[in-house]
Amino acid sequence: MTAGGMQRIGLGGITGDPRALAVSAAILLLFVFVPLLHNSYIENLCRGILMFATLSCGWNLIGGYAGYVSFGNVVFFGIGAYTTTMLWQHAHQQNLLLAVGLAMLIAALFALVLGVPILRLRGHYFAIATLGIALATAEIIAHFDWFGGGSGFPVRQLEWFSIYYYAMWIVCVASFAAAFAIARSKFGYGLTAIRENEEAAAVLGVDATRFKVAAWMVSAAMAAAAGAIFAGANGFIDSPTAFGLDDNVNPIVMALLGGVGTVAGPFVGALILTAINETLWSHFPQVHTLFFGAVIVLVVMFLPRGLLWLLGANTGWRGLAAALRMYRV
Amino acid sequence: MNDFLNIDEVRMRFGGLDALAGVSFAVEPGAVVGLIGPNGSGKTTLMNVISGVLQPTGGTVTFKGTRIADVPTHAVCRLGIARTFQVVKPFANLTVRENVAVGAMFGRAGRQRSTRASFERAQELLESVGLERVATRPASDLTIPDRKRLEVAKALALDPEVLLLDEVMAGLNATEVEAALELLREINRRGVTLIVVEHLMRAIMSISTHVVVLAEGRKIAAGSPAEVVRSPAVIEAYLGTRFAKRTAGEARP
Repeated sequence: MTAGGMQRIGLGGITGDPRALAVSAAILLLFVFVPLLHNSYIENLCRGILMFATLSCGWNLIGGYAGYVSFGNVVFFGIGAYTTTMLWQHAHQQNLLLAVGLAMLIAALFALVLGVPILRLRGHYFAIATLGIALATAEIIAHFDWFGGGSGFPVRQLEWFSIYYYAMWIVCVASFAAAFAIARSKFGYGLTAIRENEEAAAVLGVDATRFKVAAWMVSAAMAAAAGAIFAGANGFIDSPTAFGLDDNVNPIVMALLGGVGTVAGPFVGALILTAINETLWSHFPQVHTLFFGAVIVLVVMFLPRGLLWLLGANTGWRGLAAALRMYRV
Repeated sequence: MNDFLNIDEVRMRFGGLDALAGVSFAVEPGAVVGLIGPNGSGKTTLMNVISGVLQPTGGTVTFKGTRIADVPTHAVCRLGIARTFQVVKPFANLTVRENVAVGAMFGRAGRQRSTRASFERAQELLESVGLERVATRPASDLTIPDRKRLEVAKALALDPEVLLLDEVMAGLNATEVEAALELLREINRRGVTLIVVEHLMRAIMSISTHVVVLAEGRKIAAGSPAEVVRSPAVIEAYLGTRFAKRTAGEARP
């Protein structure tokens, strides 16, 4: 079979449109040069994009590929952030590599323990259960002094601040590389089959519970790695910072905007949404959240499957026209 | 009773309704068993029980000594039992080839197959069911007869020993039915045991080596196609009591 025969053809798919993937990969690789600009505003902004892209990439594995919408992935981000914080606070340990590794491990185990019972739930019930877990975890952490209670803990930053940027870049590149590998593997096909029809997938031999739990564990590890780096870069962690609403909702909206169930979608979404957010913030500081909300509503109304799903068999203006017809604009 | 596939006193109760009220029969390896009966007689329910999608409320299905009810649904295909769904369940956003490849990846021989080998196997199967021309289209684009073909190809991708076919010929025209029958005969010649649910009497009678007739959740007749069509119980179930008496009267002198 030719290489082209293995590729996705037509609508959507396992890895998504190959051109979108190539362009996204090129942009992501160029991000490595950002610290050389010596502009801290741009560096912080781009670190944010990388962080949200990683969170969105992780969410996309369970929400986009397996089709199980999680409203609780911020829990894993928070676990990551608290791992770095606790390492500093209770062990005076600043090793970033250790923090990231430990955070990924703890988050994956947490996803395993939670996932076995709640990934048996389907559809809305799973979404609600994950939301409950996110809220409960944030509350519990805020009530224990060992975790800094309501006032939080400072995190001592490393001397070379750009290390946080490079670390986030590595985590982001690794996450997208992992997502790409998963999307082309049997694991990825199994997850997609579960999303499309869980009963039919089971009859074809897909062990749905095991696949979903495994996907959620990988998803959790990605979010935790981003969280562990974020804590260091932020220099302070309390419960609302680690389990923020933005960190929960933005990655989902980014995946929806870019293209759920495609590899590049979350990155494209993170780029565009951050650009929109920054523009609105600088021009309409008082009402920017209102506009931001409006953007989310428009995306869900007109692009329920994301921008990258527009790049299908029909491309260019003809494809756009077909898509507009499809969405009855 | 035999040691291949045994359906023993299977009962399935949905609320107050006995969809199956104790059905028993054995399937010989290599056979083509036609499962017929009027609408609502429990054919699809029995298919669901044999394939492990439903747990029976009574009785057992045993395949080579393993009780199907003890095995999770996803592991049934690894025992060697595959099925199609009457209401087809394609993975709509995957291509036709990917749909079949999923079966090749996770079925009985899936562990030994790479992703690439699974795609190659899927392509072969699409050629054998006549879907190679639409291999790269999304499954949602297929017509109903093509979706039925896709169901068969997906089930075959599991490398089954027993294949359960639930109304795969519904909606096909006469030529397509002939082609489908030829395909089923070819599958059977390669050693796959078939259990076929079908409304088209001529099709099922021409292909089956053994026919089981269900009515209201009970087995009312079983035997060779020729025996079954002469059974008064079958004529009654299909055409009503008056017709059965009349044919019985005509047969006597």
